[in-house]
Amino acid sequence: MTLLRYTISRFVQAIPVLIGISFITFVMVNALPGDPVAIMLEGQEVDRETIEAVERRYGLDRPFHERFVTYMLGLVQGDLGYSFHRDMPVSQLMWIRLGPTLMLVFSAFVFALVTAVPLGVLAAKRRNEPTDHVSRLVALVGVSTPSFWIGIMLILIFAVWLGWLPSGRLVYPWRDPAHYGFDGRLELYYQTIRHLLLPMVALGTLQMATIMRIERSSMVESLQEDYVQLARAYGVPERTILRKHAFRAAQLPIITIVGLNLSTALGGAVLIETVFEINGMGRLLIQSIQQLDYQVVMGVTIVLATIFVIGVIITDISYAYVDPRVSYGDRE
Amino acid sequence: MNQNTILSVDGLRTHFYTEQGVVRAVDDISFDVRQGEIVGIVGESGAGKSVATTSILRLIEEPGEIVAGEITYQDTTIVGFDERSDGTLVPKDEMLTNRQMRSQVRGNEIAIIFQDPMESLNPVYTVGNQLQEFIELNRDLSGSAAKKEGIDVLREVGIPEPEARFGDYPHEFSGGMRQRVLIAMALACRPNLIIADEPTTALDVTVEGQILNLVSDLQEEYGTSFIWVTHDMGVVAEICDRVNVMYLGKIVEQGPVDEIFYDTKHPYTKALLESVPRPDRTVDELNPIVGTMPSAIDPPRGCRFHTRCPDAREACREVDPQFVDVSETPDTEHRTACIKYDDVGYWDSVPLEHASEQDTSYIDEDQRPENRDLEQTEGEP
Ligand code: SF4
Repeated sequence: MTLLRYTISRFVQAIPVLIGISFITFVMVNALPGDPVAIMLEGQEVDRETIEAVERRYGLDRPFHERFVTYMLGLVQGDLGYSFHRDMPVSQLMWIRLGPTLMLVFSAFVFALVTAVPLGVLAAKRRNEPTDHVSRLVALVGVSTPSFWIGIMLILIFAVWLGWLPSGRLVYPWRDPAHYGFDGRLELYYQTIRHLLLPMVALGTLQMATIMRIERSSMVESLQEDYVQLARAYGVPERTILRKHAFRAAQLPIITIVGLNLSTALGGAVLIETVFEINGMGRLLIQSIQQLDYQVVMGVTIVLATIFVIGVIITDISYAYVDPRVSYGDRE
Repeated sequence: MNQNTILSVDGLRTHFYTEQGVVRAVDDISFDVRQGEIVGIVGESGAGKSVATTSILRLIEEPGEIVAGEITYQDTTIVGFDERSDGTLVPKDEMLTNRQMRSQVRGNEIAIIFQDPMESLNPVYTVGNQLQEFIELNRDLSGSAAKKEGIDVLREVGIPEPEARFGDYPHEFSGGMRQRVLIAMALACRPNLIIADEPTTALDVTVEGQILNLVSDLQEEYGTSFIWVTHDMGVVAEICDRVNVMYLGKIVEQGPVDEIFYDTKHPYTKALLESVPRPDRTVDELNPIVGTMPSAIDPPRGCRFHTRCPDAREACREVDPQFVDVSETPDTEHRTACIKYDDVGYWDSVPLEHASEQDTSYIDEDQRPENRDLEQTEGEP
């Protein structure tokens, strides 16, 4: 019950944050150079009247604060404006583009956690032995190599040279197999994984390396705690020590870092989507900036920020779930 | 060796191989523990007390290593070495394997209580979870039987409403209550010997008194032997039967508690006793030990205490003091390692120019005897 109340209160607290983010985004997009009406009507012979008519139609003639309020009112109703370029509502565009990005980012974190946690534990257990040195070297390379470069290399090796995996585009498991010309669900899922593999690794490597380093140092520290020593002194087998006594408390920094790194992962997704030609939020953002499609830029920014805020809240809740010392704010 | 001896430590050396050099944390110590008694190991921090006790459970970690000596628990060899023809030491065949140490000794025969009750319990598991796990591992109880036993022991160590507290997390207990939980863990495993490593240091005086009383009562009830590690002579006086005084990796005096207090032989023991606050002395009369303990990497030659000993003479720098029996009566077993009591020319040699008597100018202002407070001699870091 307390955890549920904590969850609700965290979401309530996030509302002013989201309003703040929307405001800043709105201000910044409005401060950008370039006249949207001029761009929209580019290449056409227009007179002043037409321009003013267009401005009136989109409310661009009204003062800044009025436009902000209108935008915010639309926002709470799920209306993010209209994209002139793509000739569709921004919110609809978001729905199409959100899936690929979430799938990419989520799979990258799954990949990172599944590989980094066991490796980090192993390195901590064998600290200062060859296993440890190798894994630390790999982690160092991992954190210092740009993800887009890893992406390009992966394409070169696995798609171009070896021809094992496709070089770009994703297959979406929620679509109809017939859309891709596949035989059935099974082939659809198989192709989803095949297509996701390279971008997932490219985006997840940085996360994996970061998590591995933290997992290692956190476990090394945890293995020296008095309570771990006490468990040893009471004859607890080393396996149980690693799995239970040292492990759980050592995961707290990992939870924190996963939440914070959501921002770098979303940022990385922009590049990875471009490299792998994935039609997600990131690629949309880049294209919209180039096309000066302000409504879309604003929408993408707000949606990405919201994802980040939700991610941080989820990590906070997981943290509270793992660490009983976190008070839910209804005590003390 | 006495008939009732359950643990004997003989010539134990535990060294740490650090980058700065070899730390001789425990350097040839011998003592034993008999059935049902509380044996004190007392000395300043850094004397090697904890290393000595962790060696008994073979829990020394890299870069530390037990390099010599024998530790015998009842009939089993915890540590033992054979000397090969080329002089190197190899572990004895009958020495317990790590697995045997874990399953036969740790917890069920020898249990330990650590110094810091705040750090000794895992913050992310309930107290009951940890207690029950240790009981299941070390006794033939499982599931609900182990839980029931855990609750009973919690009640026994004076935790109110143990059924409800069983499911609480460590942070929901006070320091004193946590130390009771740790004592409960030790007792619940029904060991023969409990090593208490400064278990009251982190607690305030009232709570310390309560814990000491509790331990005395429980000790009478269960007949468990204790090794009580402390830096506090007051605690020693209160609960110990026999005492080992440690200085810089060596035992300098050992004997029954009355002998140590009323027939003190070693100058270090004297100094320790004089630094203890007592009702019959004012704070000004307290006489803390001069200077700090030298490093165990490069301990002073001869008697290790000579750099701080008020009685030091020239001979003390050369001769490594051997244990001498100073018992008044045959079975007292009062021994000390100070050449004042040995026939090696102490009385013919000249007193050392000593920091404590002649020249104190090189000592830092706050290290001077008159400026030091008790904390600096007695406090653990
Ligand atoms: S041997 Fe000398 S220096 Fe050592 S304690 Fe005895 S008198 Fe002091």
